[in-house]
Amino acid sequence: MRRMKLGMAAVAVLLAGSLTACGEAGDDDNEGVDVDVKEDAAEDFDEGTRMRELAEEGKVTIGVKFDQPGLGFKGATDDAPSGFDVEMGKILAADLGIDPENIEWKETISDNREPFLEAGEVDLVLATYSITPERRAVVGQAGPYYVTGQQLLVRADSDIDSLDDIRGTEVCSVTGSTSLENIKAEGATPRGFDTYSECVSQVLDGAVDAMTTDGAILLGYAAEQPDDLKVVVEPFSEERYGVGYSLDHPEMCEWINETIEESFENGQWEEAFNLTLGEAGVETPEQPELDPCPAS
Amino acid sequence: MRLAGVQKHYGNLHVLKDIDLDVARGEVVVVIGPSGAGKSTLCRAINRLETIDEGEILLDGQPLPQEGKGLARLRADVGMVFQSFNLFAHKTVLENVTLGPIKVRKKSKAEAEARAKELLERVGVAHQAAKYPAQLSGGQQQRVAIARALAMDPKVMLFDEPTSALDPEMIKEVLDVMVDLAERGMTMIVVTHEMGFARTAANRVVFMADGAIVETTNPEKFFTNPESDRAKDFLGKILKH
Amino acid sequence: MEAVFSNFGEYLDAFGVTLALFAVSGLASMVLGLVLATMRVGPVSVLRGAAGLYVTVFRNTPLLVIFIFMAVAAPKLGYTFRFVEDVEIAGWNVSAYFTRACIALTLYTSAFVCEGIRSGVNSVQLGQAEAARAVGMTFLQSMRHVILPQAGRAVIPPLASVQIALAKNTSVAAVFGMAEATATMRAFNNNYADQRVQIFLLFALGYIVIVEIISFGSHMLERRAKVA
Repeated sequence: MRRMKLGMAAVAVLLAGSLTACGEAGDDDNEGVDVDVKEDAAEDFDEGTRMRELAEEGKVTIGVKFDQPGLGFKGATDDAPSGFDVEMGKILAADLGIDPENIEWKETISDNREPFLEAGEVDLVLATYSITPERRAVVGQAGPYYVTGQQLLVRADSDIDSLDDIRGTEVCSVTGSTSLENIKAEGATPRGFDTYSECVSQVLDGAVDAMTTDGAILLGYAAEQPDDLKVVVEPFSEERYGVGYSLDHPEMCEWINETIEESFENGQWEEAFNLTLGEAGVETPEQPELDPCPAS
Repeated sequence: MRLAGVQKHYGNLHVLKDIDLDVARGEVVVVIGPSGAGKSTLCRAINRLETIDEGEILLDGQPLPQEGKGLARLRADVGMVFQSFNLFAHKTVLENVTLGPIKVRKKSKAEAEARAKELLERVGVAHQAAKYPAQLSGGQQQRVAIARALAMDPKVMLFDEPTSALDPEMIKEVLDVMVDLAERGMTMIVVTHEMGFARTAANRVVFMADGAIVETTNPEKFFTNPESDRAKDFLGKILKH
Repeated sequence: MEAVFSNFGEYLDAFGVTLALFAVSGLASMVLGLVLATMRVGPVSVLRGAAGLYVTVFRNTPLLVIFIFMAVAAPKLGYTFRFVEDVEIAGWNVSAYFTRACIALTLYTSAFVCEGIRSGVNSVQLGQAEAARAVGMTFLQSMRHVILPQAGRAVIPPLASVQIALAKNTSVAAVFGMAEATATMRAFNNNYADQRVQIFLLFALGYIVIVEIISFGSHMLERRAKVA
């Protein structure tokens, strides 16, 4: 009955807030990595390369997620997105001599990453963009700059603590995502939603038994509500986040890999990680080995 | 049947002004008057197709129920024949006549059909029983409508300008049925412009104008020597041609 | 093409879920819509008002918002509908998600069904209702035996449109936990980024087939009603 009384008010708040529910996650006013913006960067690139064009324009458009705390997140009141993907984007732009404020951040969702790259809507995609052979058939994917794996987020009082436990349960993730496919293969009923934040609330409300996606994302949510949520099971998939670029400009691959490699060496990669996912309690992983670029 | 102090307004228009009327069992009352006099409204008020603002209408000493099942029962006892026939367009002639008895009176289908055929015979359209209303002439439709009302074994029959929508050559066939009905002792209230019917069949003529009953008298006196100027004026207009 | 054909079972399952959502919500919305329409044209003013309010609320609220309410807000209030999972129909367990999706679709669609039926009822001449009342039928009797049968023909085209819209609206459930056609299309797109266009066309074709079947059915009904 207590719930009933709160009913209408809660509903009103919820309807208004459901799309911005994770607003707090992005408000950690950190400035991000101190990038060294190169001067006269255009000189470093050969005539006719896409890097040279971008460096000369002094502008670059980067596609990132807007709804994943710690990776790519932009709250309703934020000016620019924040997260590990975003910081890596800044590091790449800096190598082209482009200031963070001259980067145009465009929201890409899982469905439109390839079309955006193909149409030239964005120059680069850093949007939890797992490298797969199918994607590499239509776009370029350099990297990986981060390797994570799928885990489960459950209520703190849940009994689920192994993959076997989820057989026959309902597990939430983003509609159409690889995580959802994987969990279906594990014998759970997949429940797709539009955003991760909706999935988190499904878990909290007991409408589903667990939520699944890349561990990094789950840890971000668990860190926000440690009393109610926990991340369980060892990673059971390998997601290798790459940087998407258009196959019209195959020369970008070497440049991206070199720049990532550089950030490994000068400590910017680790700094970027610590300021973003590290803050949410994710341990700094080992530096992943980069795939060689396809021979052009 | 008794109406006492009945008043009705449409906005500012006072359409029924303090109507008092008693109709005895077996009596045939013809309501006459210029158009807009409130005759149809009076007729429709008697079975509450129109609501009234004040006054009361009693049938067999019982006031009209306001709504619901009681009202439905009352309407079953009051037969109504409309100017535009209003036969159920999706039902055959026979079904039109049996629908009420079966659904309202809960008669068996066989019983209802036997009675319906008898009534259709009486009004002269028995051979059309399987047709749909749209296949019939206006006069035939109106006779079916009368049969439909009679099938409910009503205590009173209301006729709301039953011949006004008919071609002249069909008026007689409908009036013949009504005269026959009057002769069999049915209590009838008939709104009409058919003076011939009023003369032959009516026990009483009620003359209405501007929502009020101006004059109630027997037909002989009404047509030869009406009391009111309104009635004289009215009769002068319609009888000149 | 190969993306769909090598997973044809999934493709069919997905449209199976779409059809199940459509069938259950379609039937429920017709029943609820008929009840609402009857209330709306009926003689009881409280019911008239309630049905009017219902139509105002649910016809003017985006379906997505109703879904958010059912799938996100209702569980927050403690209504997860998980109790339906104990119900077994012919060896098939109903899921809470399916139930909530059907409720959302039904709440929304029945407002349109109500208006479709009401427009049909209004197309029947007033004299028919008066004649029915004059032979002593109650309101419900006159609706059932006189008004609705005659409204039938006028009602078929608008109701077919409403049901076609419903068939496509089931796609909203894609982001509320149902692995129906649109959700599966998104999964295929995610897995086979190189075959997006073909995947899109094959899923569009699935919807087109469903809608064509509904409109064919409605044409048949219309023709039958015309003969009668």
